[in-house]
Amino acid sequence: MSDIITVKNLVKKYKDFVAVDDISFEVKQGEIFGILGPNGAGKTTTLEIMETLKQLTSGKVIIDGFDVTKHSREVKRRIGVQLQASAFYPELSLIELLDMFAAMYDVRINPLEMLKEVELEDKAKNYVKQLSGGQQQRFSIASTLINKPNVIFLDEPTTGLDPQARIHLWEMVKKINKSGVTIVMTTHYMDEAEQLCNRLAIMDHGKILKIGTPKLFIKDLLDSGFKKEIKPEPANLEDVFLNLTGRQLREG
Amino acid sequence: MKKHYSKPHQIRAFFVMMKYFFLAQTRNAGTFAFGFLFPVVFISIFGLIGNSTQTLTIGLPSDTNLNNPIIKTIKQEKFVATQIAPESQLETAMKQGKLSGIVSTTQTSDNISHYQVTIITSVANPTEASGVTALINGIVDETNLHDAGVINPPITIAQKQLSGREIRYIDFALPGQIGFALLSTAIFGTVFGLIYLKKALVLKRMFATPTRAITILLAQGGSRLIMAVLQTLIILFLGIVAFKFYLPQGWITFVELLILSVIALIAFLGFGYFMAGLVNDENAAGPLVNLVTLPQFLLSGTFFPTNELPNWLQPLANILPLSFFNEAVRKITTEGGNIEQTIPYMLGLILWGAVMYFLAAKTFKWE
Repeated sequence: MSDIITVKNLVKKYKDFVAVDDISFEVKQGEIFGILGPNGAGKTTTLEIMETLKQLTSGKVIIDGFDVTKHSREVKRRIGVQLQASAFYPELSLIELLDMFAAMYDVRINPLEMLKEVELEDKAKNYVKQLSGGQQQRFSIASTLINKPNVIFLDEPTTGLDPQARIHLWEMVKKINKSGVTIVMTTHYMDEAEQLCNRLAIMDHGKILKIGTPKLFIKDLLDSGFKKEIKPEPANLEDVFLNLTGRQLREG
Repeated sequence: MKKHYSKPHQIRAFFVMMKYFFLAQTRNAGTFAFGFLFPVVFISIFGLIGNSTQTLTIGLPSDTNLNNPIIKTIKQEKFVATQIAPESQLETAMKQGKLSGIVSTTQTSDNISHYQVTIITSVANPTEASGVTALINGIVDETNLHDAGVINPPITIAQKQLSGREIRYIDFALPGQIGFALLSTAIFGTVFGLIYLKKALVLKRMFATPTRAITILLAQGGSRLIMAVLQTLIILFLGIVAFKFYLPQGWITFVELLILSVIALIAFLGFGYFMAGLVNDENAAGPLVNLVTLPQFLLSGTFFPTNELPNWLQPLANILPLSFFNEAVRKITTEGGNIEQTIPYMLGLILWGAVMYFLAAKTFKWE
């Protein structure tokens, strides 16, 4: 599998604060690559530089063969972007928004079909703020696919969602990935990283601490002599919750 | 897939964005309030007030002789209103500025045609005082000459009245209201609109597309321009239809007004962009926007002419951008002039706009 993204010695400095401190990694075509780390680690900044939304201070980022600094418009054409917070015009309906973005990407789409894919066709005439958190995220992710990109970037896709919505969103992400789209995502949820990501970079204080697969991380940890205190628990609270309230999505 | 992000793409994106930005504005409460509601309410009020003509109000003490010929003449004067009340009440009213003067007559001898006319005026209102004094002096002199039997006095007065339209307040007020609406839309709309979009990351999401940032911002500006032209049309229609606002050259004046409005709006949008680039928060924006708009609303001749301001303030008031617009509009409406006469004012306005766009380009932060 070839690399669809190459990040080399990326640095982002704000006056005296170094948000991204000389990181390097590759993302292989077709994988789900996660950047895991606590808040303030530099994940979102890294993502925004790759999305051409922030200027890098030094280093190189190549996406699908194009340099984000020199050919940012070519990069924009080939990627889909989902920002952390709801980022859509408040007074336009879902279908109007899709139509507008289609024009901005210079593509022709069938907005209703796209909404059907994410089970939002009956909300076509609603505004984004009238949707539940889970619905907003689904719309947000759907909008990343308008230009049929090869790579999409998701910034903390399930932050703020209830358990049912999270699981539903994970299914959606996996389905998109199966269709051949490479996914780069940030998260601070361990279970999400484990569920979705083929490979992970663990980031903190602007630096990458480790890159690898979740299995590899755990193996390395155990090899280093780590022993988890095991209290056998056949079930936990999440199981209780899901059992009581069901795996059905709760939408308004 | 196409290799280049070409002009046709930017053009399609521009028009589609403009359509949706415009649509979004029509659904926005703020646009409605500032751009339509306030100006329409103001115009209605001014249109309804406007029809009072200037009058002198003269108080006649109730305990004096009201049948005196001088008093009778005063009562018949067209532009004089009289008030009959006890003298103490009249004096209080005059101190409060409600009367132009108090006139009474007292006999000075047994001869009924010998009397003294007493005029009481207030130092507080010199214009009206001199009006009353001149009026009474005129009447008294005429009566004196007549009583003295002078039929052909050496100096005569011939008075001619030029016919013309009655100038009503609405004729003054309407251009001011258009300016008010344009400035409001341009500045409030742009500043708060852009800040909201910046905060809600809407702009950021749009910048992730291959459409150029300049196309996006032009589409924003373009949609506001169209909205403001619509507002101007509605305000004009209301003024003309409901309050008979006068267009000296009919359709030509109407079109000229629209042209001036579009130029003004583009200039005011420059202010909006500049300010939107400076602040990131509505709370910071509020005072800044008020600092720029309130002095202009008050001093640019929106509600009253700039020459009613103190002399030292006038030069400053006259170079405000809204003043240039108001002057230009009045040149073609109340003064019935040609559009060429507005050029010096419009150049002033364009200069302001150019400076603002330059500053905006230097300081605008996308996020």
